[in-house]
Amino acid sequence: MMESQIHTIHQQLVNKEISCTKLVQERLDLLKLNTHNTVNSLLDTLALASAAKVDAKIESGQEIGLLEGIPFGIKDVYMVQGTYTTASSDLLKKYKSPYTATAIQKLFAAGAIPLVKENCDSFGHGSSSENTIFGAVKNANNPNLVGGGSSGGSAVNVAKDYTVFSIGGDTGGSVRQPAGYNNVYGFKPTYGRISRFGLMAYASSTDCVGPIAKSIEDIRIVLNAMSGKDIKDQTTYPSETISAVTISNTDAIKTVGYFKNFIDNDAIDTKVKSDFLATIEKIKAKGIQVKELDFFASDTLVATYYTLAMAETASNLSRLDGTNYGNRIEGASLKDTYSITRSENFSEETKRRVVGGNQVLSQGFSDEIYLKGLSVRDQIAANFEKDFHQVDIILSPVTPSSPPKIGDSLKDPLAMYLSDAYTVGFSLGQLPTLTVPQGTETGLQITAAKNNDALVLKFANFLKDTI
Amino acid sequence: MSKIMTVDILSSIKGAKPSESVNKLFDVIKNANKNTALNTVHTNAVTLDDLREDVVIDSPQMEKQIIIANFPKEKNGYLVVSKVIEE
Repeated sequence: MMESQIHTIHQQLVNKEISCTKLVQERLDLLKLNTHNTVNSLLDTLALASAAKVDAKIESGQEIGLLEGIPFGIKDVYMVQGTYTTASSDLLKKYKSPYTATAIQKLFAAGAIPLVKENCDSFGHGSSSENTIFGAVKNANNPNLVGGGSSGGSAVNVAKDYTVFSIGGDTGGSVRQPAGYNNVYGFKPTYGRISRFGLMAYASSTDCVGPIAKSIEDIRIVLNAMSGKDIKDQTTYPSETISAVTISNTDAIKTVGYFKNFIDNDAIDTKVKSDFLATIEKIKAKGIQVKELDFFASDTLVATYYTLAMAETASNLSRLDGTNYGNRIEGASLKDTYSITRSENFSEETKRRVVGGNQVLSQGFSDEIYLKGLSVRDQIAANFEKDFHQVDIILSPVTPSSPPKIGDSLKDPLAMYLSDAYTVGFSLGQLPTLTVPQGTETGLQITAAKNNDALVLKFANFLKDTI
Repeated sequence: MSKIMTVDILSSIKGAKPSESVNKLFDVIKNANKNTALNTVHTNAVTLDDLREDVVIDSPQMEKQIIIANFPKEKNGYLVVSKVIEE
């Protein structure tokens, strides 16, 4: 089993087996030479200066914190002061962050060292990391396949050991799905556990900051460092630190549920299905009660999610018009300038979503689509609440099938939307969900009730030893 | 107010048209069952005790510099805005 890299590297630094500068330089070199298109920009100057400080501290005999000197990656939708923050778009190709996102600032405060702004789908719009001006992200295991999305660059960097951990963003599965496609851990915490301040907004009601790493312990460490109430994001709530001891005792889990209709349908790959059911049998063999649960049809989940996400992104992206920032293209009038700037600088997928959002928000359509979508979301949330009275954990595949070939998703947007069937429901419920690289080819998702993030990690520890 | 605005105008995107793929998703929502029994009360508002202090926070110099550097056009030390046409 993969152990905590953070603990291992921390010990190496403390024991002076490796200098932080050497560690950082090695990873920067790997990133620079990599052919998976994971890098939008390297933060080499900042990283090496920070590494030198850590080395000086160790040299002078001072203690260092657990995250101090640990190199990590940042999806290119987070503000980091003075760095390019492009959202993989033409519009913001030359945009520099004036300030730093709260979640990232907390990692800086703990001494972690940022190496790279990572490739992703533009504004988070995609499930394959092909919707980007920096070239499609290639899967860590097979470069002919997609890296997944939208946090594809982040998941591939972790899988290839270019970064020790990376910070992705998950709106409808954007951390969990690429983690599954590249066989690493990816966590979407309860909505509001980590501040969204400085994360470029896609769909504000489901946007979550999420760590990607190679062990449950590293997910735990990074999650703790980023969590907490932030006055700059009033949807945040205070949370307790999750201790390693808390999540190592796996006795508390008595019942696990799974959605019958996720497994009994034509869209799921036969291998994913049989592997998932084999996992269920192994869990039963450990004396845990397993319940089949009823849930909404996949197409209803996907349609509800995309209706609301498009409405929110149309509103959030309305500020991107080349006026205060962005690549302005002058037209004959102000309105003309806006529309030329936006039509020339947004990708096809981003335009599709903005247009879709404005469709459902417009007079005459909002009642039968947008408001209906909100009402279905309430029903989904109520359904989860009922389920978590019956079970401690809900287990699900991450995706219905293996990663597509590069090029396929762009040809068929509807198929791409439908491939998010297993991830979007948990986003709408604002629940904590972790992808673990076990159980099926693209992993498993472990979900618990709201604010029960510790239970998710606890069950992941149980699964690690069980299957 | 009876003027009908097309999606290209609403979206400020030249030549934008609704997409067939997206319309298929919307059809699913239109046909979904609506459970009227459910009457969820949303408490998304921040309580009065939890509001942040009503103080003006000055941006650090570095932040100001980057904001100015991000502005699309500058001429002779001035930021250039787009031409506004009154309609």
